[in-house]
Amino acid sequence: MSYSNAIHHRAGTIFPFIAAILALGLARIIDPYLAYVATSWVIFGLLGLSLDVVWGRGGFLSLAQTAFYGLGGYFGSVVAINLSAVTGHSLLWSLPAGALFGALIAGALGWIIFYARMGALQSTILSYTFTLLLWSVSQSFKLDAGSAVIGGDNGMSNIPGYIPGFGAGAEALEPAGALMFVVLVAALAYFATQRLMTGTFGKIIDSIRLDIEKTELLGYDVRRYQVLNFAWSGLLAGLAGALFGGWSNYLNPSIFSVQEALLVPIYVLVGGLGTLAGPFVGATLIGGLSFWLGGGAVGGQTTLILGVVLIGLVLFLKKGVLGGLGDLWRSRLPDPNEAARGAGAVSIDPDELADILSEAEAQAGPAKSLRAETLFKRFGGVIPVNEVSLAFIPGQPFSLIGPNGAGKSSFLKTCVGVYRPEGGRVLIGDRDVTRAPIFQRVRAGMGVKNQKPQVFGELSVRENLWVAAYSRVRHRQRANGIAARVLSMLGLEAQAEVRASVLSHGQQQWLDIGMVLCLAPRVVLLDEPAAGMTKEETRELSTLVRILARFTTVIVVEHDMEFVRTLEGQVTVLHQGRLFAQGDIDTLREDERVLDIYLGRREHV
Amino acid sequence: MFRISNATGGYGKTIIIRDVSLYVGSGDVVALLGRNGVGKSTLMRYATGLIPAIAGTVEIDGLAAPAAPARRARHGLGYVPQGRFVFPRMTALENIAVAAESNGHNGKEAVEEALTYFPMLKPKVHDLAGGLSGGQQQVLALARALAIRPTVLLLDEPTEGVQPSIVDEIAGVLKRINIERGIAMLVAEQDLDFCLSIANRAYVMEKGAIRMETDRATLERDKALQQELLGV
Amino acid sequence: MDIDYLATVILSSLSSASILLIATIGLAVVFGLMGVINLAHGEFLMIGAYSALTATQMGVPFVLAIPIAVAVTMAIGALVEVLIIKRLYGRIFDTMLATWGISIVFYQLAVMIFGTVTPGIGMPQSNIQIGDYSLAGYPLLMIGVAALMGLFVYFLMTRTVYGMKARASIQQPEMAQAIGIESTRVNTLTFSIGCGLAGFAGAVLLPIVPATPSMGFSFVIKAFLTVVVAGPVTLTGSVLTAIGLGGGASITASFLTSVAGDIFFFLITAALLWLYPLGISAKWRRKL
Repeated sequence: MSYSNAIHHRAGTIFPFIAAILALGLARIIDPYLAYVATSWVIFGLLGLSLDVVWGRGGFLSLAQTAFYGLGGYFGSVVAINLSAVTGHSLLWSLPAGALFGALIAGALGWIIFYARMGALQSTILSYTFTLLLWSVSQSFKLDAGSAVIGGDNGMSNIPGYIPGFGAGAEALEPAGALMFVVLVAALAYFATQRLMTGTFGKIIDSIRLDIEKTELLGYDVRRYQVLNFAWSGLLAGLAGALFGGWSNYLNPSIFSVQEALLVPIYVLVGGLGTLAGPFVGATLIGGLSFWLGGGAVGGQTTLILGVVLIGLVLFLKKGVLGGLGDLWRSRLPDPNEAARGAGAVSIDPDELADILSEAEAQAGPAKSLRAETLFKRFGGVIPVNEVSLAFIPGQPFSLIGPNGAGKSSFLKTCVGVYRPEGGRVLIGDRDVTRAPIFQRVRAGMGVKNQKPQVFGELSVRENLWVAAYSRVRHRQRANGIAARVLSMLGLEAQAEVRASVLSHGQQQWLDIGMVLCLAPRVVLLDEPAAGMTKEETRELSTLVRILARFTTVIVVEHDMEFVRTLEGQVTVLHQGRLFAQGDIDTLREDERVLDIYLGRREHV
Repeated sequence: MFRISNATGGYGKTIIIRDVSLYVGSGDVVALLGRNGVGKSTLMRYATGLIPAIAGTVEIDGLAAPAAPARRARHGLGYVPQGRFVFPRMTALENIAVAAESNGHNGKEAVEEALTYFPMLKPKVHDLAGGLSGGQQQVLALARALAIRPTVLLLDEPTEGVQPSIVDEIAGVLKRINIERGIAMLVAEQDLDFCLSIANRAYVMEKGAIRMETDRATLERDKALQQELLGV
Repeated sequence: MDIDYLATVILSSLSSASILLIATIGLAVVFGLMGVINLAHGEFLMIGAYSALTATQMGVPFVLAIPIAVAVTMAIGALVEVLIIKRLYGRIFDTMLATWGISIVFYQLAVMIFGTVTPGIGMPQSNIQIGDYSLAGYPLLMIGVAALMGLFVYFLMTRTVYGMKARASIQQPEMAQAIGIESTRVNTLTFSIGCGLAGFAGAVLLPIVPATPSMGFSFVIKAFLTVVVAGPVTLTGSVLTAIGLGGGASITASFLTSVAGDIFFFLITAALLWLYPLGISAKWRRKL
């Protein structure tokens, strides 16, 4: 790997580190007033980071970051005012208090948003509502909390500065010291966040942003992760708020205002969405701009410019400064996706597959049956699943066929948990999962491959498999091992580091199947797996399904009768939401009634 | 007259149809056959301009078709999509009227005309289209396409999920408007009986390309081809 | 509590709800027919108010100043659509951020042109007496104005060719094009009409809400919460939501404090979104 490549790989660590060191050095040299103002830029950068975590990585545009920021500020400051009079040290109290309060509030709000399964727009609006509610309430909210006085409109004053020493005589830091301190705290928060976001947690969060449905199909409790991520962003915002209280020594309701809330996405967009370091760049650029234009305070002409900047960014520079620079740099590096272009058709290794499956059986137990008992699902006047009772047991592949509109995929979706049935039961093994959420069914042993390939396009092929394997084993090293074996079974080793989105349609199908295998499912549902595959690929698939059926229960929903024939298993025909016929394929091919519904002939129907 | 020459297209980078050429003469009814997923719907969407052409051209009545779908419609290209896609929160009447008015025709007259062809819509004209049954929606989508007064009609799986009695009715109306108004048709279909009842000629697609061209008589005779086409 | 007082409270709450509805309808049209959340809606309201104010200051009677305000906002709206919004269709959050930027720009321009304090215009003097209580007449008139506005939009969208095209375009964008509807033109007109309705609201409310650069912020917040809670059947949904939320908040405010009214508004919004994550009308079968 070249130097340039190696540095690019670690750019998120190296450059912020250099920037932090530089800032620490500059703090002593620059004019104290500039140091004082620049401190606020770093605080705003931290606030921006909190949004980048939830928006750039989590995929949810939250407009409540200033709410957590303000609440963290108020709460941290109340604690500091009361305790630092006694102990001297203000930071020990205000920062943890602010951060924890922010995390708590964000967690609670996140719980409402994510567990209600709100639409994206509704989520954003509700987060905005929360900020506005605080703005409204804080205008008249008056409270004497110990020696702290929250005075509604008048705000709260006498917030102690950054006092690092103990005892009654301890002094607050001078501007230079305060800047250094804030840079240090921000750097710690940044590196902690960066570690979190490049680690396991971050990968799962990325997966949720890229395809939440698939992430849940891999057995992750996606809503829990979303709430946790949101709580972390609340923690960062609350921390920034507590720092802000100590910096300005005064807080008032304008911290919850619309104008304040507007600045946060601007910082993120200017710096680069999803880059984590970007918000600091954005805050510094915008802070610097307003400093040179109008002496530090954001207002007047600056507001106008900010508005124009926001429009311009959305229209022309969606990736911001760091995102743009990153693209430029990447274009000069060797293309990691080159390997995808040379790749031929996927050819699986049957022995390796059998090994993987028998090992999975040893770890996850024997195959489980899937049973539907008088399952009933209706949409308005349409009944796509009409009292269907079916039992799929281990031993041979099951195929579910029927003409368009027969209710095959509705039946499948009801078994998977996408639809809630109005009647009947679904059982995996002996467990009734009729009311269980999707991820619990997956943990009970269900593996699902949908018709379209579902892969995480921005993650590498290896990472895709790793995310799937980790869901089952919850152990990084073991997940690595499983991913490597499936990779070699699929013959995709040469493309391991390629982004999944550059794979061909057929390769993505195989990768998706590989991800399902990583789960060591005890019952596998495949929805039209042969659709869009070439003849050779269809043959490979048939081999795979037949081997799979030796170790697990397999149900294939399929249109392609030729493919179904090669599976040599039990076939069930659905028609108009009901069970129509059952048997092996050759018997069914002789059945005039089955031919009729397929040919669209009407004599027997 | 309607012609597609060397059509190549797909979604994003993925090419689904490659170098497809076909021709539908004035007043001709042509079937487009093939299994699921061979690119029939993509070809239809290519013809309407709803997916951008990577290569190839479309001609309507001897003139190159404009790029925008709306302008193609005004050049006489009617389209009944797979899955019908009626305007769900508009009444059946509005569905038909808006199509007529968008092309400079009188909405009221278009609705009256549609009701003479499709009397089954009469009791439903003031109902929201989203509340109609699958078969009724299919008929409505057809009436909507006819309201633009097309010279060529593209039909994508018009019998999918439609009950048999309505399938027969649709076939009857298509034959009638073909004779009375001379509208040419290209029908993508899996229901072989339906195709045999209305089309004179057929193209067979496979893996995004035209594999062969055939006529009704051959298709009726050739059981092996029938089986293969339907994957039975 | 006597009957007269109760009647006064109900009437004034209904008038508050009507004012909210007047301020909301334009937003509902743009969201319902284009899928765009126009965060600059409040600023169009403000532009309408300033246009009407400037016109009256130049001697135009108030009744004629209203159409002037509508024309000005429709023109600016069309311009904004062509220059900015058109490029962002289908990217709802980008449109939100861009219109947020537009809102800030208009706000700041207004500060620079008009300053932060402007003289209001007097409210037409007429009072209504209920028992011992007296209510100003103009705010009560707004109940009628809101009803007329709602009917106007309803007829525009259901009884005109433009209305049918606009609804077709949002319900099935591809099919709308495939049957010959030039969606881009329809969208420009829809956005322009939405802005014109905002301008109308700003002008007609001018005697109640004096023109200030920041008036948009306070209005748009509740207006777009109303629209989002309303969901896909925007007009009917918005009318119900505005009456329920706006009226409820106003009643709460008259018995407790105005902050309590706001809290009521926001908490009920949150509760409704919890119960109907996609808006209250997500499952309704109605036209508009």
